[in-house]
Amino acid sequence: MKGAYAGPLERVDSCCYRIPKSYRPDMRVDGLIFANETLLESIKKDQAPDQVANVATLPGIQGASLAMPDIHWGYGFCIGGVCATDPAEGGVISPGGVGYDINCGVRLVKTNLFWDEVKPHVRSLVKGLFHTIPAGAGRGGRYKFDPVETRRLMGEGPRFVIDRDLGVPRDLAHTEANGRITDGDPHEVSDFAVKRGAEQCGTLGSGNHFLEVQVVDSVFDADTAKAFGLELNQVCVMIHSGSRGLGYQVCDDALAAFRGVPAKYGITLPDRQLACAPADSPEGKKYIAAMRAAANYGFCNRQLLMQQAREVFATEFGRKWEDLGMELLYDVAHNIAKLEEHVVDGKKKKVWVHRKGATRAFPAGHPEVPEAFRAVGQPVIIPGDMGRASWVLAGSAGSMARTFGSTCHGAGRAMSRTAAKMQATGRKIEKELEAKGVIAMASSRMGLAEEQPAAYKNVDHVVDVVHEANLSRKVARMRPVGVIKG
Amino acid sequence: MYELFEHTADLGLRATAPDLDTLFAEMAQCLFTAIVEAPATIRSERPETVEVAGADREYLLFDWLKHLLYKFDAEHQVYGRFEVKVRDDGLTATVWGEPLDPARHLLNHEVKAITYHELKVEPTAGGWAAEVIVDI
Repeated sequence: MKGAYAGPLERVDSCCYRIPKSYRPDMRVDGLIFANETLLESIKKDQAPDQVANVATLPGIQGASLAMPDIHWGYGFCIGGVCATDPAEGGVISPGGVGYDINCGVRLVKTNLFWDEVKPHVRSLVKGLFHTIPAGAGRGGRYKFDPVETRRLMGEGPRFVIDRDLGVPRDLAHTEANGRITDGDPHEVSDFAVKRGAEQCGTLGSGNHFLEVQVVDSVFDADTAKAFGLELNQVCVMIHSGSRGLGYQVCDDALAAFRGVPAKYGITLPDRQLACAPADSPEGKKYIAAMRAAANYGFCNRQLLMQQAREVFATEFGRKWEDLGMELLYDVAHNIAKLEEHVVDGKKKKVWVHRKGATRAFPAGHPEVPEAFRAVGQPVIIPGDMGRASWVLAGSAGSMARTFGSTCHGAGRAMSRTAAKMQATGRKIEKELEAKGVIAMASSRMGLAEEQPAAYKNVDHVVDVVHEANLSRKVARMRPVGVIKG
Repeated sequence: MYELFEHTADLGLRATAPDLDTLFAEMAQCLFTAIVEAPATIRSERPETVEVAGADREYLLFDWLKHLLYKFDAEHQVYGRFEVKVRDDGLTATVWGEPLDPARHLLNHEVKAITYHELKVEPTAGGWAAEVIVDI
């Protein structure tokens, strides 16, 4: 492990710290880390703050290089980073600022069931989910699309599968960008990527991806919870996955194509993984077109995962999923770059907002918030760890003022995977979780060890910061009762 | 000699070898150690030839590993033996492996991608050393 961050961190307020532009001559803007004193101590332990400073060197960056409280060391960009660039000022698009898993994200599916009714079924339910939903490395799914279909799916988003009875049209209205980011071009996605994606739509993958059965255990904002259709003891399903091998390959292809690009445009980078191109350059446009198409694949993947979960619930409870009230609350991306309108220094601008491990959190009144939620703000889904909690937040006005409409995306790792495995030696994570009331099944033995609750920061502390910073506000907290993992 | 090392959310592959040919073969072994829990279970059955072009050694290592990862993810192939010949303008390798068999191969990590972050191929006192971080 590399050493701790030794540079400056100036206190802005109780939940924001600054890396001043003066820290390094190549920084174009300040770095701002949203964290409280306690979280900051753990953030300083590795080089994530240096990565915030690295991002501050990118051409056309606006405002500041931002990091959410769940920041941790990544490659190139830190995880938990937000960076907006203005194409009119030579602003760049960076595949590393999106991440390999393009449109990795989360969706929350509600039910009209309460914990009392589900409790006797939970073990059988988790088994059913585990055996139905493909999880883990190298596993193909039950939905197979040929290359032509895969490209159509990327062009249309979840509508493509909904037209095949895998969901209902109202699911779209509750998906970020209605499940289809426009101006993508599936033909910019390589054949390699299409091949990797052909069998993987509707599969969970591994690593930190999961499907959880959760119970609402606290409600913090009754009015917003009501608007979201959430109440105490209600059972929900949370799904965390992305665009699978297809998205990874799109990122890979772009990074290879971008090798000589920074030099071509006179861009000096502190880390090769920050490879970027001016957003309006031919190279930049090609990546953007492919990335948008891959993002639509990601929405489709979560749609198919949801649909499989709906079927398992229907079988378990002997009722149609519609009768179980299995409606999608919302689906949000947390690895993505989007062209959005923001006010920078009092001026309205269209900027490329890179969110790498950060979630869009548009406030009440924003035109891109679905009508059903426009009075309260966009639902923000924050997965925590499998032993403690996950959250539903709502976008707050502060996000537009401070973070280009963004908030955190999860708990953030506190321990490396190797350290987590070592800590798990001789323990039975499954049994420990069971003692806490969580039934967990994973396809790889290591999966549970690496993803054990202690490997993560306490998501409650992360959420406290974004709530206090007015980036998003607490609506409901859910505790896990059933987990499936890769 | 190769080993996996830790990186907060991801995983590092590291190898040392007396020469570049062995270094590239060791890094490939290391990649399959990250993917399969007991790489010894991989039968080195069918030989395949792999050609990778590129003059930059670090990018060459990257592209070599990326190719093997693609073969695993898209074509479900796992490999247990590698012979590599590194030249100034690329490499030619023979790799031996078999199709993934979930009954025998216990999967370890889902390696999403090879990254450029801290990618290194460097001469050392005893030969060569390489490091790469993979996204998992």
